[in-house]
Amino acid sequence: MGTALLALLIAACSTTPEAPAPDASAEMLPALDRTATLALACSGCHSPAGGAMASLEGRTEDAIRHSLLTYKGDAAGTTVMHRMMRGYSEIDIDAISAYLAESAAP
Amino acid sequence: MTGLSGTRRDLITGLAAAAALAGIAPIATAQTSVRLIVVGGGFGGATAARFLKQFLPSSAVTLIEPNTDYYACPFSNLVIGGLRDLSAQRFGYDGLRGLGIDVVQDRAEDIDPVAHSVTLGSGDVLAYDRLVLSPGIDIRWNAIEGYDAAAASIMPHAWKAGAQTELLRNQLSAMEDGGLVVMAVPPAPFRCPPGPYERASLIANYLKAHKPKSRLLILDAQDKFSKQPLFEEAWSAFYPGLIERRGAEDFSRVVAVDPARMVLSTEFEEVTAAVANVIPPQMAGEIAQRAGVANATGWCPIDAVTFGSALQPDIHVIGDATIAAPMPKSAFSANLQAKLCAAQVARLVSGLPPEPTLLTNTCYSYLSADAAVSITGIYSNEGGKLTSIAGAGGLSPNGMDPVIQGNEAMQAATWFRTITQQAFG
Repeated sequence: MGTALLALLIAACSTTPEAPAPDASAEMLPALDRTATLALACSGCHSPAGGAMASLEGRTEDAIRHSLLTYKGDAAGTTVMHRMMRGYSEIDIDAISAYLAESAAP
Repeated sequence: MTGLSGTRRDLITGLAAAAALAGIAPIATAQTSVRLIVVGGGFGGATAARFLKQFLPSSAVTLIEPNTDYYACPFSNLVIGGLRDLSAQRFGYDGLRGLGIDVVQDRAEDIDPVAHSVTLGSGDVLAYDRLVLSPGIDIRWNAIEGYDAAAASIMPHAWKAGAQTELLRNQLSAMEDGGLVVMAVPPAPFRCPPGPYERASLIANYLKAHKPKSRLLILDAQDKFSKQPLFEEAWSAFYPGLIERRGAEDFSRVVAVDPARMVLSTEFEEVTAAVANVIPPQMAGEIAQRAGVANATGWCPIDAVTFGSALQPDIHVIGDATIAAPMPKSAFSANLQAKLCAAQVARLVSGLPPEPTLLTNTCYSYLSADAAVSITGIYSNEGGKLTSIAGAGGLSPNGMDPVIQGNEAMQAATWFRTITQQAFG
């Protein structure tokens, strides 16, 4: 209930005349629950700004989840993403995938 | 939910919450009444200002930063190595102004945590409801005997990017072939743990091409260092015989300098340098000491969920100034801490409890113009304390694979573009 409430507050405030609505996709999504804060760790490299190293734009939830689980499961993998995904549970990966797919939807 | 017996702000938030639950548009003043001040416009502060405004669009966000131009430290070792222009490190604050953030170009001289106010160099006093301090580091002058601000103009630290970066670069350019470059590395903790060794690699890269008779000597106060196996492997492969490192086990901590004679002294020897890069001991930026958020170590204890100061109410501290080990003092860390701090501040002012999460850090280090390595960590902030997640993170592989190291160099460049865009817009 708490997070939904904050989303409401943010959504409502962003449409008041005093605060002109910024880009809705950026503004409305963050309910600022644990899933949102998990995903904040991704945006340092994967935000659309600056030509991210692997753009998430248009990727489906399934595609993102498949990539992240492949990194997590590949014991021989050596990239930053392999090393990182070993620290996340499958539950967290599910939540992040859904969140990022929604955030990156065109 | 917020009780109605709290402060006026709690009351307003509570009313707004009640209105929202009832399907009524919340009172617009719920957030307008929140005055948020960010001190320090580096990777932490600039990011914090942006995300506070994004998460709390009706709040008044003020960023206090004395410099009109910010020079980024990440990638500044490429400038020192002659591979990048200093202008590529420069960023400004117009992007943040465009978002409705009030950028005040003045120095925060003092902070009164009881009165909730910041005194500026101009004498103006600004009041805040919550303050985010991102003061970075300051040098502990004279912690190395003789190393003061005047000495730094002869033996640059180049540990804050800008004029110091350029000075060290110019000294290396002007040095005669055959000159000895000496680098002093302080004991941990300091900003950017792998930074000295990336710098050593890129200075060696420059010397190899342009001053092949010159050598680099590292006088290190540390026994072990970040990414050590990767750096040592690269030094043997790329720069054989060019870099010599003496560590703490050899009593090689620099304890005194004499800039007039270009001498650096350890506990039992004196070394004369053609160019001396003295990376001195550091502490949280001076304003943190004045705000009363730094402890006896000179760094700032925090609750790692909200980044709230352990010492003062309604002040949050992020970035290099914090005691956040095992999370390192890096631009990546500062940027993520800023976003998480902004998210938790938004929750707090909206009457929601803070919520723990997982954090990450990735630091790339260049070994040469087109090879880089990385270190990654994943951390939990459960219970307000940062702990590494076991079995995750770690270093790039050994083996000097040019494809892997080339890919990491390209990833590093993309990371820099992305994170500077996210911080400065």
